[in-house]
Amino acid sequence: MIWEIYNLLTATPLILVAIGGLIWGILGGALPGISASITMALVLPFTYTMDPAMAIAFLACVYIGAEYGGSIPAILIRTPGTNSAAATVIDGYEMNRQGRAGEALGISLMSGVVGSLFGLAMLVLLTEPLSWLALAFKPTSYFGLGILGLSVIASMTSGSLLKGLAAAVIGLMISTVGTDPISGVARFTFGAPDLLNGVEPVIVMVGLFALTELMSQSGSSNVVAMKETVRIKLPSFAMMNRLKRSQFIGCILGTFEGLTPGGGGSIAAFLSYNEARRWSATPEKFGKGSEEGVAAPETANNTVASAALIPLLSFGIPSSNSTAVLLGGLIMHGLLPGPRLFEQNAQVINSLYVGSFIAIVAQIVIGVLILPACMWLVNRPRPIRAGFILALILSGVYTLNNSLFDLGLALAIGVAGFFMRIAGFPFLPLILGAVLGHMVESSYRRSLVLSGGDHMIFLEDPIAVGLLLASLIFVVFSLGREIRDARRSRIVVESPS
Amino acid sequence: MPNRLLNRDTLGGVVLLAIAALYYWATQSIAESTLSDDVGASGLPRALTIILAMLASLMIARALLARSSKAETGASGGAEDLDATSRRGLAFLLFGAAYVAILPFAGYFISVALLIAAIAIFEGAPRRWTVPAAALIGATLYWAIFVRVLGVRQPMGWLLEKLIQ
Repeated sequence: MIWEIYNLLTATPLILVAIGGLIWGILGGALPGISASITMALVLPFTYTMDPAMAIAFLACVYIGAEYGGSIPAILIRTPGTNSAAATVIDGYEMNRQGRAGEALGISLMSGVVGSLFGLAMLVLLTEPLSWLALAFKPTSYFGLGILGLSVIASMTSGSLLKGLAAAVIGLMISTVGTDPISGVARFTFGAPDLLNGVEPVIVMVGLFALTELMSQSGSSNVVAMKETVRIKLPSFAMMNRLKRSQFIGCILGTFEGLTPGGGGSIAAFLSYNEARRWSATPEKFGKGSEEGVAAPETANNTVASAALIPLLSFGIPSSNSTAVLLGGLIMHGLLPGPRLFEQNAQVINSLYVGSFIAIVAQIVIGVLILPACMWLVNRPRPIRAGFILALILSGVYTLNNSLFDLGLALAIGVAGFFMRIAGFPFLPLILGAVLGHMVESSYRRSLVLSGGDHMIFLEDPIAVGLLLASLIFVVFSLGREIRDARRSRIVVESPS
Repeated sequence: MPNRLLNRDTLGGVVLLAIAALYYWATQSIAESTLSDDVGASGLPRALTIILAMLASLMIARALLARSSKAETGASGGAEDLDATSRRGLAFLLFGAAYVAILPFAGYFISVALLIAAIAIFEGAPRRWTVPAAALIGATLYWAIFVRVLGVRQPMGWLLEKLIQ
């Protein structure tokens, strides 16, 4: 293991890749409206030309950087750069108003490092043992796994289950474009050779996340300017000691939410904030510039950034938009998440672990050095920034296959995503459908080929049965919650007093 | 706002039904192969058509039911057009479409510069020297990254090719 790490550090540009990803992540995360998933989606096409191991490490480091970057505008201009930094606004901005912005940024940075290190430790400890289970996977098990992945939709569509399911079906429809996995006949290509290989998930993600966001932001007013004189003040050992309880809460809840499909950084951050206040010796300070109020959510959302990779790498289940983009990166490089990834592409996993570790440690220095650049970037006029971002997206999409067709496709998906957003359709189910559709269909049909068309084959595989049962429980639980919430809101409407 | 949500859901359901119909029509052109299994290349697509049509019908029914109960309480309905923000969003992407159209003729450098300048002006940047300067800096930066560093063969452009010849 040590020899492998030595090789990675000396024979590959992993250090540069990790730091590059971290810098891009912090800059992207610091831009209000550009979430971690959009920051990742923007660079996804770039990674196409990279070595797969470096590409995946790069994307993971972007994710780590974006989670910290989101806290910068949250603290300085009361605008979270990413959704998961929303809880940081409460006490972070209050500290800024009290003239303690540098202290808040320092606490955010160091708590992020603590959370990321804890999440990475969980990732290293849990991922491989979990993937051993998947070594016994057969086509029937992969079918069950795909269905379990799709069942995440039920928890991601709070209040709009029908729309979530419809979006997932459209995603599955997109996955059927191209050559049929069993017979090899062309489907829905309409004679266009560019569609024979199907619609690449990366184009769907860039179109839905990045282009739709730009369209939605069009015409919006500029954000409040940041004071470019703020400097980070790293917390002392005594302060870190005082923050350890809230950071511990953030680590535990961040890991739990990272492992839970549909969890995500924002839920973890708010839960941690509440729990930190409950267990704090000075709960009255919360909301009035409490250091613990910054430490808990920042530790939690950074823990999620690593812990969310556990179900992704072990079973190929993305639990959030950001991990869905990472899954897109894996698929783009021909890497199938799950047990085979550990068997056949150990270097990818090692690079991801080592790269993430480098990024987390480097974050202490880079986080301090990059702050002026972040503030400069956020203060650029939004109209010019929008032009730069659109040009970057279109240049990146062209990189995939040197194809104008891909550009047109991304723009069309952007338009579709824009209308989906207006109509209140969630994006993640569509992405999951587009990404998992191929696995679900091919493993289902391969299983039936093996059994001569007998569906009982799915019940003869205990892993498939377990995964399908888990999916069923997950969907029923989410449906129950949806019905309960609908009843509750009806009661509120009927008795407004 | 609730009425608008209802209309949005009805319209969304109708659009989904239209997508299901179009998709079903497209499944008719999937060729049968001798290598095909029991399910066949059109098996999943047809199942998806049915599921989407069912979901769309449920969405429309739910929206209409909610609308009628709203009507009983005296609320009024009616479809609403896309607001100004929506139109701006679509217009924004038209610049992207224009970029795709001019890229093979004008080439990467000129197209990127024009795109940045056009978007900046559309988004309300003051028409001063900063816009062309930003466009030139952006085009140079992206050309350096994509063409020189990453080695991507971005279109040189019909104009430049003619000039070189």
